[in-house]
Amino acid sequence: MTARPLLLVTAALALVAPGFATPGDETAAGHDAGNAAEHSEPELPPHSRAPHQVDVTVHDDAWLLVNDYDTFGELAEADPERFEFVEGLLEPKDESGEVIDTYDGYRDKTGRVELRYDPEAEDVAYFERVSAERLTRGHENYIQYCASCHGLEGDGYGRSAQHLRPPPRDFRVGKFKFTKVGVENLPSDQALVDLVKKGLDGTPMYPWALTEGQLLDVIQYIKSLSPPESGWRDVYAVVKGPVDIGEDPWTNDVQGAVARGEIVYHNVGCFNCHPGYVTPARIDEIVTGEGGIAKGSYREDLTLPKIVPNTMYQVQGYKTSILPPDFTWHSIRAGRDRQGNLSALEIARTVGSGIAGSGMPQWKGSMPDKDIWAIGYYVRHLIETYHGKPQARAALMSELRGGN
Amino acid sequence: MSGDHIHPEPTSFLRKHVFSVDHKVIAKQFMWFGLFWLLIGGIMAMLIRWQLAYPGTPMPVFGKLFFSSTGGVIDPASYNTLFTMHGTIMIFLGLTPLMIGCFGNWCIPLMIGARDMIFPLLNMLSFWTVMLGGAVAFYSLFVPLGGSEAGWTGYPTLSTTVANQGTGETLWAVAVFLIGASSIMGGINYMTTVIRLRAPGMRWTDLPLTIWGLFFTAVLNVLFLPVIGSAMILLVLDRVFGTQFYVPASIMAGGGGGDPILYQHLFWIFGHPEVYILILPAWGIVSDLLSFFARKPAFAYRVTVGAMMAVTVLSAVVYGHHMFTTGLSAMLGESFMLLTMIISVPGEILFFNWLHTIWRGSLRMDTPMLFALSVIFVFGLGGLTGLYLATISTDIYLHDTYFVVGHFHLTMAASALFATFGAIYFWFPKMFGRKLNETLGKIHFWGSLVPLTIVFCTMFVSGYAGMPRRYYDHTSADYLKPLQHLNVTTSLAAFTLGIAQLVFAFNFIKSRWWGEKASENPWEVGTLEWTLPTPVPHYNFKEIPNVVCGPHEFSNPAIPDGKDWIYQTEPLAEQPA
Amino acid sequence: MNRLVSLVSRARVRWLATPAALLLASTAASAQEVVDRWGPTPPASTYGPRFDSLFSLITTLIGISFLIVLVMLLVPCLRDNAKKGKKAHFDHGTSLHDKRFTAVVSVVVFIVLDAWVLVRAMGDLREAYWNVPAPDTPGIFKVEVLAQQWAWNFRTPGVDGELGTPDDVITINELTVPIGRPVVFNLTSKDVIHSLFLPDMRLKRDANPGAINVAWFEAAKSGDFDILCAELCGYAHYQMHGKLHVLPEADFPAWEKDASALALAAYDANDTEARWAWDWKE
Repeated sequence: MTARPLLLVTAALALVAPGFATPGDETAAGHDAGNAAEHSEPELPPHSRAPHQVDVTVHDDAWLLVNDYDTFGELAEADPERFEFVEGLLEPKDESGEVIDTYDGYRDKTGRVELRYDPEAEDVAYFERVSAERLTRGHENYIQYCASCHGLEGDGYGRSAQHLRPPPRDFRVGKFKFTKVGVENLPSDQALVDLVKKGLDGTPMYPWALTEGQLLDVIQYIKSLSPPESGWRDVYAVVKGPVDIGEDPWTNDVQGAVARGEIVYHNVGCFNCHPGYVTPARIDEIVTGEGGIAKGSYREDLTLPKIVPNTMYQVQGYKTSILPPDFTWHSIRAGRDRQGNLSALEIARTVGSGIAGSGMPQWKGSMPDKDIWAIGYYVRHLIETYHGKPQARAALMSELRGGN
Repeated sequence: MSGDHIHPEPTSFLRKHVFSVDHKVIAKQFMWFGLFWLLIGGIMAMLIRWQLAYPGTPMPVFGKLFFSSTGGVIDPASYNTLFTMHGTIMIFLGLTPLMIGCFGNWCIPLMIGARDMIFPLLNMLSFWTVMLGGAVAFYSLFVPLGGSEAGWTGYPTLSTTVANQGTGETLWAVAVFLIGASSIMGGINYMTTVIRLRAPGMRWTDLPLTIWGLFFTAVLNVLFLPVIGSAMILLVLDRVFGTQFYVPASIMAGGGGGDPILYQHLFWIFGHPEVYILILPAWGIVSDLLSFFARKPAFAYRVTVGAMMAVTVLSAVVYGHHMFTTGLSAMLGESFMLLTMIISVPGEILFFNWLHTIWRGSLRMDTPMLFALSVIFVFGLGGLTGLYLATISTDIYLHDTYFVVGHFHLTMAASALFATFGAIYFWFPKMFGRKLNETLGKIHFWGSLVPLTIVFCTMFVSGYAGMPRRYYDHTSADYLKPLQHLNVTTSLAAFTLGIAQLVFAFNFIKSRWWGEKASENPWEVGTLEWTLPTPVPHYNFKEIPNVVCGPHEFSNPAIPDGKDWIYQTEPLAEQPA
Repeated sequence: MNRLVSLVSRARVRWLATPAALLLASTAASAQEVVDRWGPTPPASTYGPRFDSLFSLITTLIGISFLIVLVMLLVPCLRDNAKKGKKAHFDHGTSLHDKRFTAVVSVVVFIVLDAWVLVRAMGDLREAYWNVPAPDTPGIFKVEVLAQQWAWNFRTPGVDGELGTPDDVITINELTVPIGRPVVFNLTSKDVIHSLFLPDMRLKRDANPGAINVAWFEAAKSGDFDILCAELCGYAHYQMHGKLHVLPEADFPAWEKDASALALAAYDANDTEARWAWDWKE
């Protein structure tokens, strides 16, 4: 009489034991198998692959790039307890055992950071050994907090990401939009922690309530998703912190910064994609005032932003374009500091570093840091004055459209 | 049938204390099991309250102990596991074993004059099944991706692999299934025992009300635990074998079109009776204790039994009130609203019978009585506030807010818990031969009642102000920020409540081994268990007693010798007029 | 004095004082907040006052009931104490008088607590909460809500008044509606069950995956209000909140025009995967 439920229970217990093959296993690629090109034509609609249980155990340690040679050198020198400088630290040999080259470098007494040689690239870089246990911890938190959008395999095709625009990042590409480290560089751990702690406004990427330690684990796991030849496993890749735009030159003159920002914004042609916030006649005046040649004719409606194709999403398999924000209307993604306040610094950093894959170039180097800061102040001013204030915005727009 | 003749007492340690078929030993096993889980669930409650009052701050002592990897901070995943397991543990592993497992086993044979349960082996199996269920639930906390975190209600699709890829949730479902199976075994045993093994002369109307409560609970257990069992089997199939009972086609490739609402129906068909599964024995115990300590017959015995029976029947047809915002059709919604409201009638009858029982009595304010009286108070608060939630147009706003949390804690948690405490203080002398310390008992009582009232009444206030439940951090939304002070108040009161339970734990341990020796009938009560010597012999009754009198003949002028009570085996001098 | 009162008055005072002191301390620390908010914010929808009024009625009814229970509980506790040598009054409660009492009280309770509230509630449901305006009602403002872990996707019709067209305004966690027009929701979910909770509007409705739920409200006040999720939907359930902007009649047309223009500017005909809309469910 009681045998039947017990039997069922025993069967159920046997089946839920970890490692039991679940129906979803065919679609569940290993965490570092495959790259973006391979998954661009999945058999099933990627958002609706069968749900399944996931084994979060990562079995192998991963060797991942740490800060670039110079930055790492500075860090290492600051910690002589742990690192010592060794001449001829690494002497790679070819197949016949002959020494090819000699590299000086810092030796980590704990053995976690190593200077490694890549025979294909014929180059060296510092790599950190991230333990499998740490990756497992990171994977666990990744599945819990990130996978609903970024996908169980980290490909950006999570179930909840269906129809979501902009689409979530594919971590297997190793490119990020708002880490502010420059389009060509990989973000440092701290830059990524910063991004997750602040979240991206106007998207379901919230400021997640994970501790810094947990976040660092997740980030190591995400880094380990990059394919063998690129991202954090590529000796040529450069890991950087946020772009350096110097000290705030406008601390005592916010008014001046906003005025200068308006001039720079319209002089360098931000309105080619974003809206213009002055009349075309005023743009001509600004450009001439800055010593340029006024074009005289502009896009049909300068009060609207212009849609631009996004190369990064195409790599991910999305055919999506992105509308650059109208600062008086849309939320901007990464304009806040850790306290959640709108910050000229953060906006200026975005301007300075550019946004990978979108049409937003890296302005650092193309204009003085002081002007980048001025744009930061100007955009903050636009947001504070018009965003979420329908009447103020309507007045501005009617002025720009000539009263129509 | 084991109740008929005397078995020799087993001699080996294993058969005597571990794999015993003696209902008294099993009752004590259930008691220790339930108290252990009550402690675990209580610690979880403290952790939850800490997080809600001081979100994201490392918790002293416990934080370091349980969340060392985050420096003592409870992260959202752990928080979800905490409130899920707090609910599951308190209902299935704390209160059910204590109230039904322990006192069901202890009271039924002794109070009806039987030598044991009718199916002693099944009784033992029931305990070891719940033990296994508890072990699985405990193990689920330590698997990768953590324990279950879909709430104790485990709604799909959150509890399916759509949103939860770990094994913890599966193990949770298995644990609930096992515990359910155990309750069904217990239920069959209780029902059959009460029907078949009553002592000669014991009519249905001579049963103590405790037995009536346990009997109705057993009926509900047998009828509705299979429903949750099937719901859990379907959930495990969905999670492990890729079936789609609860996963709609729209979110699954090649989906056949399951329905998450199916689970809600199955769950609440069980879930609403579950509330009464916990409260009916409490009502029974309270009805008895009030009469015992007021030295007055239970007022309108038959009406009380009838009201309990009516609630038992009604409990099966009101479950829809948990789903008013789910999208029930208007007709279903209104029907469930009416049926739910009708429960207030038998509820009110019970209240007036209790109040009439103590009215013009001779009240002995011992700890069991204090707890029994407090059940009237907390159940009054909890039961009456149910009216807001039965009414759809107010429930729309209050659903899934702290108002609901306050309401169901007062009804099914606090009332059941206080009745259990009353029962422990009351039967402890017969169980262990010693009395629980009265002074500590009263400290425990006041230390429980006052903070508990603050905790759950503050929840009413915050729920009314719109605070949703199951939030990790209420300061995240602008609407809720001004309400944080309510969370702090609730938590401080909850910590006080937690500390008061330590008094009980101390009292329990101390009195169990070093307490004051109790006489064989310290409360001067006439039900059959008090006719027995302490400790109760293995076979309970050497001679099966012959019942000649009701359980509540207190202060009957027909009692001989000038006493105000009489054993159920003793005849009254003459029938009262 | 009797036992119960002496319990309170002597050494046990310590035990009562502890929680009371904690309560006082916490309350004093946040006195300003207590003044700011005790209950919900004032209703901002046309049917919101119905909730508040029915809530008050129920509070009055159960308040009186609870008072009766409390008196009947405390009087014997204080009066009929064995320590005072009180003798119990022998009574099984089986007399005709007792039966009549039970019957009368039952009828009174049913009429006063149940029937009264029931009739009021049915009225509210039929006239307000469940009286969803038909799709062809002039002036209604349709909103499609697609919930996900952990965000609200809203689709409103834009200037053409039609859902499923390129000028639909699609927003995440923000919804802008006009005042004085019935706002009708069609709710569903991508993944797990969510529940749209607009506390100021006294509205709550689940968003179930695989099915469409309908709800409505009409704003009576302009301003910014909170949107919360009320059904546990995972780890970031508590973060799944947004803002409801109710615009005055004068501002709304201009807002809608701009929103549609920007929506058209953002429309990418190639990106078919981004589309979501469904046949309107009544």
